[in-house]
Order: sequence, then C-alpha cells, then structure tokens
Amino acid sequence: MEYEKNAKGMVFDIQRFSVHDGPGIRSIVFLKGCPLSCHWCSNPESQRPEKQIMFISHNCIGCGRCTRACPTGALTFNPSFSLDHEKCQRCGRCVDVCFSNALNMSGEIQTVEQVLQELKKDNLHYRRSGGGITLSGGEPLFQPNFARELLKGCKAKGWHTAIETTGFAAASVLESILPWVDLILLDIKHMDGEKHRYYTGQPNQVILNNARIMGSYGTPIIIRVPVIPNVNDSIREIQDIAEFALSIKGVKELHLLPYHRLGENKYQYLGYNYKLKGIEPHNKESIRNLQKAVMEKGLACKIGG
Amino acid sequence: MNLTELLKIPEEKGDNCKMPAEFSQLSNSLPTQRIQKLIDDLYSVTPEIEAERAILLTESYKQTESYPTIIRRAMALDNILSKMTIVIRDNELIVGNLTTKPRASQIFPEFSNKWIVDEFDTLAKRTGDVFLISEDTKQSLREVFKYWDGKTTNELATELMFPETKAAMEAGVFTVGNYYFNGVGHISVDYAKVLAKGFNGIIAEAEEAIAKADKSEPDYIKKHQFLTAVIIAAKAAIKYAKRFAELARKLAAQTSDAQRQTELLQIAQNCEWVPANPARTFYEALQSFWFVQAIIQIESNGHSISPMRFDQYMYPYYKKDISEGRITQEQAQELLDCLWVKFNDVNKVRDEASTKAFGGYPMFQNLIVGGQTVDGVDATNELSFMCLEATAHTKLPQPSISIRVWNKTPDELMLKAAEVTRLGLGMPAYYNDEVIIPSLVHRGLSLADARDYGIIGCVEPQKGGKTEGWHDAAFFNTAKVLEITINNGMANGKQLGPKTGEFTSFTSFEQFMDAYREQMKYFVSLLVNADNCVDIAHGERAPLPFLSSMVDDCIAKGKSLQEGGAHYNFTGPQGVGIANVADSLMAIKKLVFEEKKVTLAELKEALDTNFGSCEAPKSGAKVNLNLNNLTQEALVEAITKLVLEANKASLEDLQKSANIKVDLGSNGDKEYLRQMLENRAPKFGNDIDEVDELAREVALIYCREVEKYTNPRGGRFQPGLYPVSANVPMGAVTGATPDGRKAGEPLADGVSPVSGRDKKGPTAAVNSVAKIDHHIASNGTLFNQKFHPSALAGQTGLENLSALVRGYFDQKGMHVQFNVVSRETLIDAQKNPDKYKNLVVRVAGYSAHFTSLDKSIQDDIIKRTEHSL
Repeated sequence: MEYEKNAKGMVFDIQRFSVHDGPGIRSIVFLKGCPLSCHWCSNPESQRPEKQIMFISHNCIGCGRCTRACPTGALTFNPSFSLDHEKCQRCGRCVDVCFSNALNMSGEIQTVEQVLQELKKDNLHYRRSGGGITLSGGEPLFQPNFARELLKGCKAKGWHTAIETTGFAAASVLESILPWVDLILLDIKHMDGEKHRYYTGQPNQVILNNARIMGSYGTPIIIRVPVIPNVNDSIREIQDIAEFALSIKGVKELHLLPYHRLGENKYQYLGYNYKLKGIEPHNKESIRNLQKAVMEKGLACKIGG
Repeated sequence: MNLTELLKIPEEKGDNCKMPAEFSQLSNSLPTQRIQKLIDDLYSVTPEIEAERAILLTESYKQTESYPTIIRRAMALDNILSKMTIVIRDNELIVGNLTTKPRASQIFPEFSNKWIVDEFDTLAKRTGDVFLISEDTKQSLREVFKYWDGKTTNELATELMFPETKAAMEAGVFTVGNYYFNGVGHISVDYAKVLAKGFNGIIAEAEEAIAKADKSEPDYIKKHQFLTAVIIAAKAAIKYAKRFAELARKLAAQTSDAQRQTELLQIAQNCEWVPANPARTFYEALQSFWFVQAIIQIESNGHSISPMRFDQYMYPYYKKDISEGRITQEQAQELLDCLWVKFNDVNKVRDEASTKAFGGYPMFQNLIVGGQTVDGVDATNELSFMCLEATAHTKLPQPSISIRVWNKTPDELMLKAAEVTRLGLGMPAYYNDEVIIPSLVHRGLSLADARDYGIIGCVEPQKGGKTEGWHDAAFFNTAKVLEITINNGMANGKQLGPKTGEFTSFTSFEQFMDAYREQMKYFVSLLVNADNCVDIAHGERAPLPFLSSMVDDCIAKGKSLQEGGAHYNFTGPQGVGIANVADSLMAIKKLVFEEKKVTLAELKEALDTNFGSCEAPKSGAKVNLNLNNLTQEALVEAITKLVLEANKASLEDLQKSANIKVDLGSNGDKEYLRQMLENRAPKFGNDIDEVDELAREVALIYCREVEKYTNPRGGRFQPGLYPVSANVPMGAVTGATPDGRKAGEPLADGVSPVSGRDKKGPTAAVNSVAKIDHHIASNGTLFNQKFHPSALAGQTGLENLSALVRGYFDQKGMHVQFNVVSRETLIDAQKNPDKYKNLVVRVAGYSAHFTSLDKSIQDDIIKRTEHSL
C-alpha cells in the first residue's frame, strides 16, 4: 500500500501499552491541536497546535541555567520561575539545558516514517493481544493529511487501527480518513447545543452530522461519554446521548468515562487556569446508575474505556 | 468435610477415567471454613525460636564422636525425629510439624551459630523478620553452642578461603552468605519415587546396593557408610510418621467431636501406612509428600526445598481416586488447601544482615504447574488448575507457585494464572519452556530431563530428583566492580583488583570496557574460590543422608549429594546490578566520549564526592524561599527538617521540600551533572537498542566468566541474573555510579530496569529485557513488573496480561512476575502495618508479607515503576 512516508505532523506523545482505547494492547499516537477546549480536558497540552513549554516545578533544582540560555529574556527566576509567553519563541534552548527535566517541550514535528518506526516496536504485542494503533489527540482529524497517511502506513503493516475523535471536522476530511479506520471511538459530550458550546467552545451540530456519516460507512463505532459532574451527569442527559447513539448504524456500545483529575497538574505546568478546580469525581454508585440508565435504553454500556 | 468415603479401602478398578473436556469448570470456588481457621491459627502468634532440635542434635553428636560423619548425621536425625515434640494442630488434615509452635524456627548450630548469640537481644526488636526468643531458650542454646566451637561448616570454609577472597567479600564485591552460614537446600527430590515405593522401598534399594557392591574395592568402605546412613535416616522418617499415628489415635480417643474423631482416625491410618509404604490414595500421597517436605527441613535449614512438578507426580493418585469415586473434586481441593497452609508453617531465622537480602520470612518452596512432559506433550491437567486455586484460596506466600508456559499452554491455564496474578500476591511466576529447555540441554541435560525441569527457590531451573544445583551460590555485585574499575582496582583505600588504568587516562570507551572486563575476570575467579571453599566444607562436615536418599544417583554411586552423588552438579552464582552498569556505561559512552559534555576528571570528582553531597556546603550557599506557592505547613516542615535533623538533611533534601530554592554553589554543579547523567543518556528498559545492547553485553561479560569454572562435586558453574533482594544491601555498599545513582541507593533488581527509569511502559520494558541473552543465564533470570489493578480489570485485563507474557516469551525472555497492587496501598501499609497484616507482595523471586519487610525493601517495592493507566 502506498503512503506518504515523509508527511509531517505535530505529535506530543506516543503512549505504549495502552489498554483502554480499543481492543488489546495498543500504542496511542497523540496529535497536537484541537478545535475544542473542554473544561475537563485531561491533556491541556493537546489543545494548541504549536509547540509549548511546560514547567514542572518539583523537578527544578534551581540552577538558573535556563534564564541564561533564553535569548529573549522570556524566562525569569525572581522570586519564582515565570515564563512570559509573549516573549517566548519556543526555541527550546532552555529545555536543552534543563537536565532535571523541569522544562519540557510538548510537541514535536515527526514524519509518518518516524512514528511508524516507534510503533513497530510493539508489533508482536499487537499480534499477541489483538491490539493495534489508536490515533488520538488533540483531535486527529485536525491534522488530516498526516493522520490519513499514518493510518495508511499502519494498514500497510497489517495493524488494526482506531481513532479517538471529537467528531468535529469537515465532512470531506472525515471521508478521506474513514477508509483506513477499523474502529471509531467517538466522543459525544452533550446533546444540548448550547451547553455543548459553553463547555467545549463549539456547537455539536457538526459532530452529530458526522456521527451519521461515520455510521453510513459501516465501521464499528463506540460512543464515549466523559461524565462530568454538573455538566452531563443526569440520567436524562446520558439517556439522550444513548438514544442518539442507538440511531447511528454501527454503534454497538457506549462507554462512560468517569471524570478524573489526573490532568490537573498539567494546567499548572502550562500556566493555565483549571476551570473545574474543586470538583469531586463521581462515586462508583452514581456511575453505575448511569450505566444502568444506558442499558435500559437497550445499548451495551461499559464504565471506562 | 465428610471423610467416610476417604476411609474406604482402595480397590482395584478398570480404567474408566476421563479427563473433563473443559478446564474452565475448575475455577472460582470458595475455600471451606476449615482453611480460614487454619490460617488464623497459623498467624495468631509472632514467630519464636525453639532450641529442641539444636539440643537433640548436640546430644547425639556427643555420643557419636568416633563414628564417620555421614553416620553421625543420620544418627543425629534419628535422635531428633524420635524425641522432638510432635503436634497435631487443630483442624489439620495433613500433619507433621517442624516446631512446637506455628511458624517457629529451629536452630542449626552445625552450620554457624556465633551470630545467633550476638543477635539474641535484637531478634525481637529488629525492623524485619522478627523472632521472639525466651531466656530459657537463650540459655539452652548458649550451652549447646559451646560444643560446636570450631566444628561448623562456616569456620571450615573461612579457614579454606584465600585472603584476597575474604578482602573482596569484605568490600562488598560478592557474598556467599547463604550457604556460608546455613544449609544449602535449593533442591527438589524425587517425590514420585517416595510416593510410589515408600521409604521401605528406599531401604530395600540401599540394602541391595550394599549387597551388590564389590567389597574388595577401596570405595566400598565409604559407600557402605553412606548407604547405612541412608537406611538409618529412612527408618527414622518412618518412625517419625508412626509417632503421629499414635498421637492421632490418642487425640481421637480424647475428643468428643465425632467428626474430628473420624478425621483423626483417618490421619492415624495415613501415618501408619505412609511414608513407609507406597501411597494408595490421593490423601495418603499428600501426607507422604508432606513428611518428606518436613523432614528435609528438619535435617538441614537449607531453604528452597522445592516441590516442583506437583501437578504431575500427584496426578495419578488424584485421577485414580476421582475415577474410582473415592474422592470428590471439592474434597481434593480442601486437602490441597490444607497442604498449602502447611507450607507456611515452615520458617527459618536468619542473621539481620541476611534479612536485608532475604526479607519477609521466605522459604522459597517453589511449586510449578503446567509445561510439557518428558515426551514434549502439553502436561496441563486438572491439578494444574487446582494448585492455582489453592493459592487463590489461601492467599499465603507459600508455596511459591509458578507456571511453565510454552506455545501449547492452553489459554484457559494462562487466564487462570492471570486471575491469580490479579489477586496481587505476586504469584504465579511465569517461566518460558522455549528458553529454559534449550538452555538446560546446553548445560548437558538430556532432552527428556530438560523437558521435565521445575523451578528451585526464586527462579532457578533444575531437573528435580537428579540434581545438586547449588543454585543460590553467591550474589556478585557488578556495579561494585564498575566502581573498582573507575578507581583503578582500589576500593575503600585498598588495592583489591589489578591496576587497569587511571580513569582519567582512558581515551576511548572500548579501553574502559576492556578494563572493566579485566576486573570482572579477576573478581569472578575469587568468587569461585569462595564458593568452592564453602562447598568443600559442607561435603566434609554436613553431608545429608536423608536428602541424598531421594536424589539420583546417590544410592547408585554410594555418595552423598554434598560429595558429588547427584547425577547433575552445578554451582550457580548470580550477577546483580546489570541495569546500573549498563546505564553507567551508556552515560560514559555518550556524554564523555561521544558528546564530550563532561570530562572523565569531572565525572570522577562528582562520583568521589557522591555528586557533591559529601562536601560541606560552600560558604556562599544560601536559601531562597519561593513564597508564592509556599504553604505554612510546607515551611514548617522544611524548617523542622533543617533544625531537627540538621545532620541528616542535605541542602538537596531541603530544596526538594516545598518550593525552596537552594543555591548549591559548586555542589550544585555536581547535582546538575548528576541530572545530566540521569536524564540525558538513554536508560535500559525503554526499548532503546543502543543501551539495551550494552545491558546484553554487561550480562554476557558476567555469564561468560562464570561458566568457565568447575566445582568440587565434579560439576560446572552456571550463571544466573537475579538478586533475591540483595540489590538493596549491595547498593548500600556501592558508591555513586555514572548512571546518576547516588552512593548507597539500591541497585536494579535482576534483569529488571533500574526502578523508575523504565518510563515507556510494560511493553517497552519487556522488549528491553528480552534483548538480554537469557539462554546463557541458565541459573535463572528475574524480571519484575508492577501493575496497578486498573490495568488488569475485567476479562480484557486478564487477556492483555496473558498476551504480554506471551509477547515477552516470544522474544525469548525467561521469567516474569507481576506485583499488582496500588502505590497508595503500599504507602498506607507502610504507615499502618496493623491494617495490612495480610498484604502479600512479590519481592524478587518470592512472595512475602509486606509489613514484615525492612523499610528499605518496602521503599524499593514502592519505587518500582507502576505501569497503569
């Protein structure tokens, strides 16, 4: 199969031994850049399409070499570390001299071939477990050319492919990618357009339309719902999503992904404000109730990916 | 349990047995109430030290001064077995005690005893593996030890060793501590033979050998002594069992509980018949097995007495009882569970230093299921599942349960094993037939014997019933040798090794590697000297006639195991710290020679000063507080640390507290260098070829040196790569290393990556570890993986774990084991040991109760990378 080996994309992580995002043991390629900006996003570094510097304060040994390496004076250390994002050109010189890994560059331009080289390392584990590759983000459809070529590259090696997507993309983009996808993990956050816009920054109409397009391809779809306290955690809201899911061909099950705070510290690393501060995750029982509510609608439902 | 059926006398029947079609029917039952009672009773007391064995041994020895050693050993065993207090504990169905109280320890003064007196007053107070000892016991032992002054195996071995060998041991290059101070153990006898022939059969075999021997041969005299000793020991074992029959009858007469009376009468009937005679039922076979297991551990305190392929040699008895309707599967399971509890009644007191290397009262009785038959056919049967089920029922550290895996291992067995793994006991350990069988053939085993291997102790492959493997011969500290190489052969101010060049004089990486190779060659030769001295001492002073009676070819050769009677003889010392050496070499190669980011002189100075932490803070150093994010609590904590522990807390510690920034002056440069070493050179465990190949080379350097040598029993040395928990104490005596590890920190464990450095997850770690040549490390390799339970949730979790094991084994890894427990749980358990008395975790090659471990080992376990999502 032909694919463009040198197509370039902005990747911020490749996570191996992923067991919650599609069947078997998988590697997930995280593409940087997302049209949505959900309040609960657990990968805030995935939102901006360009490289970003993250500062992990507890790794800092206070040597001050970063301030001396910075050509624009964006970094200061008095009285505490601060980064002026206006002045920063993301040249990475500070990261180079930061041996304690307090400063990290999130995002790297990689070619399809480079990514495939890394993915190939777990080939044997995909085979043994019935696993494969999942493209995630950010939003993988946000870098359509790279995503498509990478998926074609994976298919050329015989791997099972999945995409984890918000569904927010032009229909033409979606259609250019679907032929190379074996499984779609489609996030649906809310059926109410206004609430959707408020919490994610985008309306949901495009997403719902795209869901129907995906259904028409016959590719298996798993609907994934991040369950966020006070956002979409009523029985009614979840059942609305379940009903929509049932109307889409190809949807076999729905996964409820309970809200967690594991990404909260990354907001601090990026100098962002975390909008959901102080919100407690659900207890097991309330998530089970939602699961029951979905199953009552006649749709298989799992907690977690 | 209703035992009426068990009381039936077995009758011969035609073979109408059929294997159940589906193994999956055999899982997930609940244990009976009896099992929980047995467990509760076993763990109701703190282990104690008992003097009875030491007294009876010494009493006999005083009366046999004029006899040959082998006869004295047999007579002493007879004295012990005839007179020691025997106990049938409440609710037991399988009987045979080693000590009066549960989980107590006898004393074995013939191996070493001075340390016991030295530690009398600290045994109950030490941080791990606590033992109580009464004043009376202390007094009796002091009396007994007088006799043994100058007569122990330890003293003879010390006398035999070269001075250079002793110096290297003192510097921490290697330790032969286990067999130096204790019995050897590390063996699996021919259990099947005892079950089939009984000790009467073994006595007949010895008598026939005496009768057939050519009396004019000079060998005859020693042969005759050995065979006579075998007969004395075998008779002593029969006598011991009959004492239990008598006791059971007595207790039956006393009890008013009709069910217990029936049980006790059955016990009496069993003990009257076995182990003297061939076992007729599954129950008798289990009882016979336990007598063998118990008496071996009364004769000597060598640990790792491993039942090995229990599901194979027990199967005919199980199958026959089931097909003849004599027993139900549930009844058989309860008997197995009883035996599993019994394995935990065995205990051993060790000196405090050894408890750091062998933490958690481990006995390493390794029992393995599955694999293939001598003919190369899959060997899985119902008992394979039932053994795993017994571990799931009892949730105790013993037996160390293992599973053999090959391409034809049924997925059902893999999933059952994964289920047990998920319980978080650290068991079973998984072993790869596809590596171990060829590696044993390479060491001279026949193909049939290699296919019949089991595992001894932690991870050591052996053909049971034919081998004296001396598997745990020593731990060799490869990181210490690296430190010595950097110091041109010096350690602690003494010239210990050859002068292989000043560190600063090397002009290429290869030159430095050559120096390391030369040092390794020298120190491995000293290791061999140490092991052979200890080996000779055991042969001369503590041959074991009972143990030898059940291992081929002792009776045929007329020689004890300790004198070379076994069919296969090996000595297996372990290399420790492979990952640290590989990471260090990688840092030197890349940062010094390739990128020239640091000079050898700078590196040497940083290592000499432990990255600046040995130096006094420079006068210009000052503390800057970052008040922005500083909470009051953090400030108080930091200042408390500074004030109250001023001698302990370094400036770096202070810096790590809260957001306090410390200007470290020139010490700071060294810390910065340390960070570079740690974070700017690839690390083993992340599936990066460059450094993984160095790890392979480091392992090969050790292995190829070791396999050159022979031992006094006529066998060869074979290398292993596992640490038990010696990586902690060995790290404590090793200075700072170029991988950025500070002086005193633990070394990497087995072939596992350094704790916390495998950042790319379990598949990357297994791929890296599989790049080491496991075939050559035929004494065993050890790879620990730790999982958060969430990574293994549901049926999918079991399938993924099983796939990961198969994926590792496809790449020719030898062994893997998993700790499945959350980091939070471990930290909480460390703080609240009372809440977690039953928390079992896997440490190196065995499982132990977490709260009984020394804090440094607990910390090490907590630090191991947690692979979860």
